[in-house]
Amino acid sequence: MARKQRDVLSVEWVKLELIRTAYATRGGLFSVMDPRMVLGWYLILAIIPWFTHNLTVLAVLFVVAAISVALARVGPLILALFVFGLLTEAVYIFIAAIFFGGDLTTIMALLELTLKLGTISMASMAAFVSLDPEKLSDALLALRAPALLAFAVSYGYRMLPILVEEFNTVFDNYRLRSAPPEKPGFLGFRSIAHWIKMAILAFYPIFLNTAQSVRTTVEALETRGFTYATVDQRGRNIRLAYLKVGALDLAVVAVTIILVAGAFWCGQVWPVYHVDLLR
Amino acid sequence: MNAVYQRAGTLRGATTAGNKPRYDLSNPQKLMIFVLSMALFGLSNILLEIIPDIHIGPVDISVAYFVFIPLTMAALFSPFWVALGAPLGEIIFTDLLMGDFSGLSEIEGFIQMFLAIYIAGSAIRNPGNGVQIAIGALLIVVVDKFLSAAVDLAKVWVGVEEAEYVEGLPESMLLLEGVGFGVDLIISGILFGILPAMWLIPALHGKIEPLMGMRPRVAGEPIPGKMPNSGLFVGAAVLLSIASFFFAFLEAWDVSIGAFEPEFLEEYGNGFLWISVIAIVVVTGLAIMFFRKAQHKDNR
Amino acid sequence: MTTTPAIALHDVSFRYPGADEDTLRNVNLTIDTADFVTVVGGNGSAKTTLCKTFNGLVPHYWSGDFAGVTEVCGIDTYTSNVAELSSRVGYVYQDFMNQLVRPTVRDEISFSPINFGMPDHAERTAEALEMLRITDLADRFVWQLSGGEGHLTALASVLAMRPEIIVVDEPVAELDPARALEIYERLEVLNQQHGITVVTIEHHAEFIAQFAKSVVLMDQGSPVWHLPVQEAVNRSSQLEAHGIPAPQVVQAVQALGYDQSPRTVKDAAQLIGPAVATLQSDAVADQEEHAAQRPVVAAASKVHHSYRTVKSSLQPVLNGLDLQVHRGDRIALVGGNGSGKTTLLKLLSGIMVARQGEIQVNGINTRSRSATRLSEHAAYLWQHPQQMFLKESIEADIALYPKERKVADWQHLVQHTLQQVRLTQFAHRDGRSLSGGQQRRATLAIGLAMQPTLLVLDEPTASLDITSRDAVISMLDELSDVIASAVVATHDMSLVSEWANRVVVLRNGQVAADLTPRALFDYPELLAEAHLVPPQIAQLGQAVGLSPAPLSVAEFIARFQPDELVGTGWTKSVGVKQ
Repeated sequence: MARKQRDVLSVEWVKLELIRTAYATRGGLFSVMDPRMVLGWYLILAIIPWFTHNLTVLAVLFVVAAISVALARVGPLILALFVFGLLTEAVYIFIAAIFFGGDLTTIMALLELTLKLGTISMASMAAFVSLDPEKLSDALLALRAPALLAFAVSYGYRMLPILVEEFNTVFDNYRLRSAPPEKPGFLGFRSIAHWIKMAILAFYPIFLNTAQSVRTTVEALETRGFTYATVDQRGRNIRLAYLKVGALDLAVVAVTIILVAGAFWCGQVWPVYHVDLLR
Repeated sequence: MNAVYQRAGTLRGATTAGNKPRYDLSNPQKLMIFVLSMALFGLSNILLEIIPDIHIGPVDISVAYFVFIPLTMAALFSPFWVALGAPLGEIIFTDLLMGDFSGLSEIEGFIQMFLAIYIAGSAIRNPGNGVQIAIGALLIVVVDKFLSAAVDLAKVWVGVEEAEYVEGLPESMLLLEGVGFGVDLIISGILFGILPAMWLIPALHGKIEPLMGMRPRVAGEPIPGKMPNSGLFVGAAVLLSIASFFFAFLEAWDVSIGAFEPEFLEEYGNGFLWISVIAIVVVTGLAIMFFRKAQHKDNR
Repeated sequence: MTTTPAIALHDVSFRYPGADEDTLRNVNLTIDTADFVTVVGGNGSAKTTLCKTFNGLVPHYWSGDFAGVTEVCGIDTYTSNVAELSSRVGYVYQDFMNQLVRPTVRDEISFSPINFGMPDHAERTAEALEMLRITDLADRFVWQLSGGEGHLTALASVLAMRPEIIVVDEPVAELDPARALEIYERLEVLNQQHGITVVTIEHHAEFIAQFAKSVVLMDQGSPVWHLPVQEAVNRSSQLEAHGIPAPQVVQAVQALGYDQSPRTVKDAAQLIGPAVATLQSDAVADQEEHAAQRPVVAAASKVHHSYRTVKSSLQPVLNGLDLQVHRGDRIALVGGNGSGKTTLLKLLSGIMVARQGEIQVNGINTRSRSATRLSEHAAYLWQHPQQMFLKESIEADIALYPKERKVADWQHLVQHTLQQVRLTQFAHRDGRSLSGGQQRRATLAIGLAMQPTLLVLDEPTASLDITSRDAVISMLDELSDVIASAVVATHDMSLVSEWANRVVVLRNGQVAADLTPRALFDYPELLAEAHLVPPQIAQLGQAVGLSPAPLSVAEFIARFQPDELVGTGWTKSVGVKQ
């Protein structure tokens, strides 16, 4: 088999993914909102479904979440994967349940669970696909999350490609200097075992090299006022000054609340529960 | 040198020579451990993103995480700061930065992993003791998977009306969780836990600490970098988790015994679920408050 | 402020926690405002620890026994704190890439002002960017930066605090000479136009002589002297004893019998005047073998390679490159950033395969074998030695390949290789605990133990001080009969002039020129484009009218004296394309 240049699984790939995440804002509804309000919006849809067993309410909420996903312009691939995952999960549980004497009621029960989990997952997709990590960490900081969290996000951005590159180099070293197994073994088992072994062994130098660089990083953080900023609030205020709740934010949250209320009203008028379905 | 060197300047502040205070970590050292564990565990999770998962039916034959990485750091440095940094590294490096953030379930995962690493790390009193390392590796998987199974079951229990009466549902959930638990214990706990940790911890002990300006841990001394009230906090969290776990299971198992009469649910109806959801939110809130408080204290 | 010195140390001693003896010993030192000070000294002379007392990291961050008084801008550092001091003292680390903590350049520079709650953080950021003329980098990601850009970013991030003092720890260590020169030029501007006190740690006498106003020599934790630069440069033998050999111009001038120590090439050229004759000597005649007659070890034909960019398009790196490496070749691969040097090296060693075109190593097409198998023919040595130290000792690292591949009598091979690089006494040490020069030699040993036909090295002399660099170059020279052929990517012109027998200049992913080292110095535009700085002695040679440029001090001396010039053996053998 002739070797070819691959574009996945490389450092470049990680860098590209990272930039894509950073500029993930596809221009959807939530990307122009205040990140704190997006979080609030998400929490509404993430918690409400747990408070009801009424399938009508859940179905309406599911539709609301689906519309949000469309408004957030979530990519079709992510969506397809999500639907597939949700369905297979339910199917597996159902197959297993049949062994224990389950029947169609089990399906109905699972429908309820699937609607709930689906609504929540879609809400999180809509919210977090639109928020770039820096914005999200600012929102959390504004909501009084620890400063370490905001730092961790920046540091991740900064270090991830470098760490992956470092690992790649060390791994290449192992690849070139150790001996591959003579035969690949059953289903390439020996080869896989060899790769796993190299990946684990590579962590010995990675540990030591990273420890060395972290020392400089932490020292630099100190000289640049990182600790100072955790005590003095002015820096935090400057950083979060750009966060402003506007008319759009309020409108989106208000509409969502009205829709949720509407869902419950529908549930009152046309109540459906899974236990009713097969009676 | 010609003359014997003698300090000419006056010593500022108290000397550390002579009296030996209890060994503990300074704040920069804690931050270093935090950052290092975040970076390395994050990196290892990115690698797992690259490795494809193998599914055999509902059973996911994959590596959940490289257990030996947080375990090594917890054993060599300080369980608490590694337990804080490692799960955060996972969330930020793989979920947030790769565009796969999932909201509240990240908090869930963080608390599980935090407890798992903290408990496992605290079990290692002597980084040179193989038995303790093995126990630690298994503890990470056991605690984390136990808690996540509990959460999964709780979701079904809360999410499905009268779940316990649905034929076969509790059993099948238990079966799937049980099989997953077994697979993770073997793959993550042994292959990527005990075996590498038994090699890596002794190999790094005494070598990595000086690079970070620290003294290697000596067997038997108190664990460094511990929160003063961490015992209380962990105890409370574990109790709560176990309580919620048993709560979920009693419901599922005692269907025939009928420990909870149907009237119970009818009487309180959805209000009962409201209460349980609020309880979960309160517990999570309390946990975050504890973190913040602990952090504030250490950063000063 | 005119009466208060920028930095004043009185009897300062410091001991790291847990250490057995003091690292700083009774340091008394005064640095005047607007001075440009270079701190020099051998390994372990506490240069870095000294500089960390200036911004309070010692004793506030590294708490240990601290005696005496350090005053910075009149403030006693002991009663102050790191936060207060860091607005006055900026510190740029030797491994500056690790001090960058934010994703983008602009964020990085505004990090400190924002942390300290300064309302004018945006102006400060813009000002710092402007001072170093890197405004166009502002929105780049930190990991997209080259080494030089990274250093400027680190420098800008401390400038944003409008410090009175800037400390730069070994700028040359992680940068190529042309970039280091650029950094020094910017520091000079900061010093002269903005009145900022600059302190650098430096090994390279050329930079010291050209830029410093005063020099502090450290030894065993305390200053030996603090002298104006000219007086310091005059004490060249003392400096040499502390690992700082005199600049080549000083060596040349003094070898010609002058007492003076000129600080720049220009000064030296004025001092000795133009050369009497420019005839060529036998020494100049390059031993021109006909390369084509020697067997080909590796060959690249019509190689195209590219990387994916953000917009999923392909960014070409190599554009139909052709190259043949013959047995006995010592090729120096030079070119600017992004000219494809590292890519070509990785393709030659089979770590990667090209998108288009074929590469043969020992007659094997690299597409037909795995990288693991190709390493039996070509060995690649990475730029950073610590990435090659996989095991707990360098002996185990050297043994890794021959042991795993079951090379006959590998134990003997390992011991022999250790002897060749003169590291037998350090066999059981971890590579990371060795000095820079020893680390390089250890990686060289790793490569040798693989017994490759082709040895490929990425920047083997980067980040070394002069003494270690010279040791590595002479070692490469000694080993030339062991290695059939070698390709080295480098910016180091000493390596080019003293070791290589062939220089390949890359430009736009193609071979722009393929010539001898001596011929290279006759093409200033090629040099400038590839970010190369000719060795001082070649510059001096050209300045006094010696053509072709001399490659070593000895050669310069030999050729500068007219009565020793004989013959016209030198012929130009250059093949410059385009």
